[in-house]
Amino acid sequence: MPKDDLKKLYDVLELPPNAPLRDVHNSFLRLKKLYSGESIVLEPLGEEFSEKKKKKVLEQIEEAYAKILAARNSEATKAEPLFTEGPPGEKIPEEVDPASVVYSGPRLKKARDAKNISLNEVSKELKLRLELLNNIEAERFETLPEAIYLKSQLRMYAAFLGLPPAKVADDYLARHRAWKEKTTPPKE
Amino acid sequence: MPAKNKVKEGEIWSIGGGKGGTGKTFITSSLGTYLAKKGRQVVLVDMDIGGANLHTFFGISRPQKSLTSFFEMGASLSDLVVPTEMANLSLISGDIHSMASDKITFSQKLKLFRQIMKLNAQTVLVDLGAGSHNNTLDTFLIADKMIVVLAPEVIAIENMYHFIKNSLFRKVKKTLKEYGFKEIVQHIWDQRQSYGIVNLKELIDYLRESFSYIGTILDHELSSFQIHLVLNMVRNNQDIQLGASIKSVMMKYLGIPIHYSGYVEYNDAVWKSVRERKPFMLNYLATGCAKEIEVLAENLIKSADMDHFGAA
Repeated sequence: MPKDDLKKLYDVLELPPNAPLRDVHNSFLRLKKLYSGESIVLEPLGEEFSEKKKKKVLEQIEEAYAKILAARNSEATKAEPLFTEGPPGEKIPEEVDPASVVYSGPRLKKARDAKNISLNEVSKELKLRLELLNNIEAERFETLPEAIYLKSQLRMYAAFLGLPPAKVADDYLARHRAWKEKTTPPKE
Repeated sequence: MPAKNKVKEGEIWSIGGGKGGTGKTFITSSLGTYLAKKGRQVVLVDMDIGGANLHTFFGISRPQKSLTSFFEMGASLSDLVVPTEMANLSLISGDIHSMASDKITFSQKLKLFRQIMKLNAQTVLVDLGAGSHNNTLDTFLIADKMIVVLAPEVIAIENMYHFIKNSLFRKVKKTLKEYGFKEIVQHIWDQRQSYGIVNLKELIDYLRESFSYIGTILDHELSSFQIHLVLNMVRNNQDIQLGASIKSVMMKYLGIPIHYSGYVEYNDAVWKSVRERKPFMLNYLATGCAKEIEVLAENLIKSADMDHFGAA
């Protein structure tokens, strides 16, 4: 992506280009909350900042967030391809066709182990609770937050690991839904 | 490199914000005290026409000299500067007669601005008082740093938007007037319905798109239109974070940058003393919010910002 375009995306999130990932995430959540709810900061503007305008701003914020994460992700894979940590020749079959990978909890753990990153580091960098990360990887669905919150946490974690955020969230949430539909937690 | 013989002229900071009672005078006196203690030569000017009380913050109950002499007797501004008990800190008391802001003539206003700029000080702090009268806006606009003081409540926010919008509109009109486009702006604004324009941002966007040379002028001239926001009387973390929200809204709505410079916590002692009109020094030295004033003043000096969560 051209540098100028990228800068505009960061402008939307009110951040300097290449702000740390957790700032990207925090800014996204903060702005999303501001423009989707009632606020004494917006109320006095009335129709000058209409519902329609708010909706448009929200769309821009969501678009910027998704595109920044995607750009970060492609950068991360370019600079540091996944699964290069193992001894040469020891190929992980899924690497051949990333689209066929289903991102389950254990699969996320595998990706993290391959990069030699501890959960503690993830927790510190992303400001996510260690317990939550543990539960995501172990697929303790009953302990996890609602899908709407879980989605952004998954995207954030995926981007951090250099995995495709949208696919990770989709795959994982599909498993989450399947579990919910069965109403009994899956046996690990 | 050529030597610079010229001493850098003093900086003017104006403190406004629209609504009364948000603590503009408290912030002005506290900033002035901080800067003076830091060694800067500071002059405070009380331009709160009709509600002047800055002198009481320094234990002066009936100022001998005030802006009244400037407006009614043609006294020169520099003769009205009186020292305070604080080293490096002087004061020009406001007009203590209840003079109305609109009684000031155009030539008096220009003379006032000229003389404010010539005051012998490194920093001149101008306390504007409440309201969005044109004279108040013009005084706000001559400053090097335009500061608004806000209390965390909806009416104050509403008045502040009004104040900022009017300042910006006035700045746009004055700028384009200098380039000979005054009529265009006023005409389009008056006929805004037929142009499908509902607010100032859309007017500016329309001007930019329709007349590329106006766009160039505005880009250049409006780049200096930067507001510095101070939140006063905050009570909790939610109040503190309002600054970041206002910053976001002003950018997304008006397209103008705002610096969230700092906040000062609600302080019962200040409020009581102001209400009881106690004539003693009410600035930060007497109230224990020294750290907050320091962060605020240093951010103002550097045009720096608090982060989104209110940390310096």
